[in-house]
Amino acid sequence: MKRFPAVIACYIALIAFITVSPSYSAPDVLLPEDGSVSMMETGKDPLPVILIAEGSDYSDDDPDFLKEEAREEVIRIADPLYYWNKGMFHFNDKLYFWFLKPVATAYRAVIPGMVRSGVQNFFNNLEMPVRFVNCILQGKFEAASNEFARFIVNSTEGILGFDDPAKNYPELKKGDEDLGQTFATYGIGNGFYIVWPFLGPSTLRDTFGMAGDRFLKPVSYIEPLEVSLGVTGFRMINATSFKIGDYESFKKAALEPYEGLRNAYIQNRQKKVRE
Amino acid sequence: MKKVALFLLCICFASVSFSSDMGPTDALKGQIDEGLKLLSDPKYKDPSLKKVQREKIWEIVRKAFDFTEVSGRALAVNWKKFSPDQRKEFTEVFSEILGNAYLDKIQGAYKDEKIVYIGQEMVTDSKAIVKTKIVREKGEILVDYSMKLKDSNWKVYDVQAEGISLVQNYRSQFNEILIKESPDDLIKRLRKKLDEQQKADKK
Repeated sequence: MKRFPAVIACYIALIAFITVSPSYSAPDVLLPEDGSVSMMETGKDPLPVILIAEGSDYSDDDPDFLKEEAREEVIRIADPLYYWNKGMFHFNDKLYFWFLKPVATAYRAVIPGMVRSGVQNFFNNLEMPVRFVNCILQGKFEAASNEFARFIVNSTEGILGFDDPAKNYPELKKGDEDLGQTFATYGIGNGFYIVWPFLGPSTLRDTFGMAGDRFLKPVSYIEPLEVSLGVTGFRMINATSFKIGDYESFKKAALEPYEGLRNAYIQNRQKKVRE
Repeated sequence: MKKVALFLLCICFASVSFSSDMGPTDALKGQIDEGLKLLSDPKYKDPSLKKVQREKIWEIVRKAFDFTEVSGRALAVNWKKFSPDQRKEFTEVFSEILGNAYLDKIQGAYKDEKIVYIGQEMVTDSKAIVKTKIVREKGEILVDYSMKLKDSNWKVYDVQAEGISLVQNYRSQFNEILIKESPDDLIKRLRKKLDEQQKADKK
């Protein structure tokens, strides 16, 4: 690690930069990160009835998986604000179908993918302080130095972050950390589930995290507030343009979309905390 | 001559039973590759043949997944509340819902996406997790397949995308429903969902 002293100097410079710097933008929420793949409208017909082997499995009252189940960690989250949350879930649902989706679809039709990708890269690069500081707060110094190196490479070679040349260095893994995860590593639990309008699913802990992270995001320092919100909205539309169809697929597959999204959010956050 | 024939026969059987010697990753990759081949087959460019293509993919998915295990795990302790007949019916309807929901996506999205096999983790001799990622236009999605060796074939019983387990996600939904409703009600709701899906598809 011959670059280490330089890295430390840079840390100090950066922390000084952060304390005085402007910064922010809202997380791209709304869409469940259910890993679903974009969807297409095609050949639509009932599937052939599936032939499942007759017999044994169905009469087993105590199959193996029940024993495994007992050992599995169960994910539960309190939901005392159920009625508010469900209301906000419907609000966000309508927001997506009536506003975000049509706007992002039109935007995608007009703006070339390269430009949209550049915009996303730019905002991601701008949020480096959030990831960097939270890596440090979690004691992940290697990840922090990777984040820093990524920032330097992408801001220079990547022309202010519009390109992402750092992805050509697989060893420079993105440290996807935020304050909610930092709190979790300090042993603070989720609290309870909250759905925010526009921002989507969260928990008490992650809400405090989000609020704290705002201080590290340049966009939140833009004045006046309208412009700052406008930039955040633009970013949201840009991000949505890459995942049109994901939310639809999620809903198409779910029986209880509200419970499904709540569970997906908690599972996804748990995985991020584990990492 | 007879010996040669016998020898050939042996080879045939050997290659059939090879599937058990095949690791989980190879088994999964085999199925996915088979699916990808179907998807990129120019023969199916014709929109009228999309339905045929879809059915063929569904066949592969059925071979790759153990839907009884998926259903059982999604029901978890609720499995005991179901009679064998109800279990069977539940499994059939539930797997169709899953197929309906995801086949369109698979059919539509493969061109813009690439699958990378990251590695595998043997949990026990008969259980494994195969780690993959889907590389999309923007960003990657980590997808882990939980696989189980059953009758000398590796079959998928859960899929985890970005840490979200399909089985656990459905379990939370089924639990919510089964607190208030009976197994028959749940099956009825699944049928209704399937109807909705099919109606939406026809549009």
